[in-house]
Amino acid sequence: MSTSLLQAQGVAIHFGGLKALSGFELDIHQGDLKGLIGPNGAGKTTAFNVLTGVYLPTAGTVRVAGEVVNGLKPHQINRLGLARTFQNIRLFKTLTALDNVRVACLADTYPFFSRARIEAARRRSSKRSGAAAAMAALNNYVDWWRAMLLTPGFQREERALTVKADALLDVMGLLPRRSEEARNLPYGEQRRLEIARALATGPRVLLLDEPAAGMNTREKADLMVLIRELRTRFNLGILVIEHDMKLVMGICEEITVLDYGETIARGNPERVRTDPKVIEAYLGDSYLAAQGMSVPGGSP
Amino acid sequence: MASLPAPLRGVFPVLLALLLLGALQVVVGQLPFFVYLSSVVGVNVILAVSLNIVNGMTGQFSIGHAGFMAVGAYVGGKLALEMKDLAISGIPHGVSDQLQLLASLAVGGAAAGVAGFLVGLPSLRLRGDYLAIVTLGFGEMIRVIVSNLEVFGRALGLSGIPQTSSFMMIWMCVFVVVLVARRIQDSAHGRSLLAIREDEVAAEAMGVDTTAYKVRAFVISSFFAGVAGALFAHFVPIINPGSFTFVKSIEVVTMVVAGGLGSISGSIVAAVVLTLLPEVLRSLFLQVGGLEGGAALAQKVDQIRMPVYGILLVILMLSRPQGVFGSRELWDAFPRWWGRGRRAEE
Repeated sequence: MSTSLLQAQGVAIHFGGLKALSGFELDIHQGDLKGLIGPNGAGKTTAFNVLTGVYLPTAGTVRVAGEVVNGLKPHQINRLGLARTFQNIRLFKTLTALDNVRVACLADTYPFFSRARIEAARRRSSKRSGAAAAMAALNNYVDWWRAMLLTPGFQREERALTVKADALLDVMGLLPRRSEEARNLPYGEQRRLEIARALATGPRVLLLDEPAAGMNTREKADLMVLIRELRTRFNLGILVIEHDMKLVMGICEEITVLDYGETIARGNPERVRTDPKVIEAYLGDSYLAAQGMSVPGGSP
Repeated sequence: MASLPAPLRGVFPVLLALLLLGALQVVVGQLPFFVYLSSVVGVNVILAVSLNIVNGMTGQFSIGHAGFMAVGAYVGGKLALEMKDLAISGIPHGVSDQLQLLASLAVGGAAAGVAGFLVGLPSLRLRGDYLAIVTLGFGEMIRVIVSNLEVFGRALGLSGIPQTSSFMMIWMCVFVVVLVARRIQDSAHGRSLLAIREDEVAAEAMGVDTTAYKVRAFVISSFFAGVAGALFAHFVPIINPGSFTFVKSIEVVTMVVAGGLGSISGSIVAAVVLTLLPEVLRSLFLQVGGLEGGAALAQKVDQIRMPVYGILLVILMLSRPQGVFGSRELWDAFPRWWGRGRRAEE
């Protein structure tokens, strides 16, 4: 089995007295396609925010590619290979589709030290600070100067970025829209542009927060095919939050169900679908009673 | 321009500007009023374009630009005073003067850049109104500190700074600032700044180190404000704390907002128009009001100026809140001639 790319162990997050998430476990390997479902307010997006570093977990550890990332900033976690989309689309509205993707290509702009070299230095020293940080900082300053002086290397790099961004837009079927401002794109295309942008950061794990929200049936069907395709094409592990049961059940191999921050079920779609706890969370215990099923663990 | 070989693209515009401005210098060098006026305009353009990097491109609202200008003016001016009696031997006097001016610009700019770093590092974690208040406070702090320091002449300010700035030097600086702003805008860095303006959370999630980028934008912006200040010190007879008040900061913010946040050409046009406006008003009053009444009115132009700004701004915000240019650029209208190389790659 390959090493775990994204792992959460006993992750909890409390806002004051509110336990938004507790005892959250997750393990994503290359090629996994897992789902995260639950009723509104169950803590799905909170889980995403903890994994990507927006919130600091109250307890537990998150590992990305084997490295503990508790306390790292979102951009640092992104660099380790974790990219996400947002539930309420967060594109750079006045930038063109192309520029939205090119912003995310930033990891490819290393003028002085290659990305691999920085990564190597960071792995050599167990502490995160020091040589790697200094190299990255120097890179950034050198990069300003390259841009201002318009050096040949800089021009080459900009062209390479554009080529890469175009390729990603093409994969997502957005190439004809590259010069369009993001805010002028139709909803479904905005969702796809968000995925293209996330892919541009060169992730190993992709977190999709309700990618099908607001899409019509046909677009949803296309999206299902696309997500599967992305997984093999980019060697990704993918975690999807979704409300649309058909979509989740259709593509995910393992589903985690959250309710009030607790993991109430986990397993393959068939098992989750028939789990009484899940049915109760979604449809209420009266439904269970009407169906002649036992109510697990009494009422919450 | 599009067909230039890659290594030349970086320096060609600068050389071209040098030649053109050198030629212009010969023509206009003999017109003292024109030179003075164009110097004021040039300094304001530098201020507006540099503030636009922070306020327009990065979306961080700073209203303490006069403070950084003051740092540049005082540090550069002081240095020029110290070097006044020196001359580099073996080269003509004029050349030596210009080299000293360049040194004073560099040092003034660097001092302002350091000040920008010190202010930016803690305060750029703040957002919106809070950042505005911190920068406002900083601008006032600088003014108060300067007016209490003996070395900077307290409230009297510095006088006797060699008047070595020239039309060519000032507009060369303008050209460099605009070129740098334009190139930043068209680079991965500039796109990251724009991304921060559009959505900070998303930018961070896409791997943009938002704090570091904001600080860098702030440093560059204050560096150029410092250069503008140092230039200013080299053509006005005296600099004192009164030149760098809150009103000056607001004037620059007005230029950026009126021109359109994020539009470099908007900042340029607004800076030129708003600087020349008082002069136009002055001559207009003289024309209309005849010799006696007009002259009296013309003398009041400086008092009338602010209300006129205010009215213009109100009209503009009501009719076109995104500024005259919005976030578009003048050169976008002529894609075949301007920056074609870059556009062709897109």
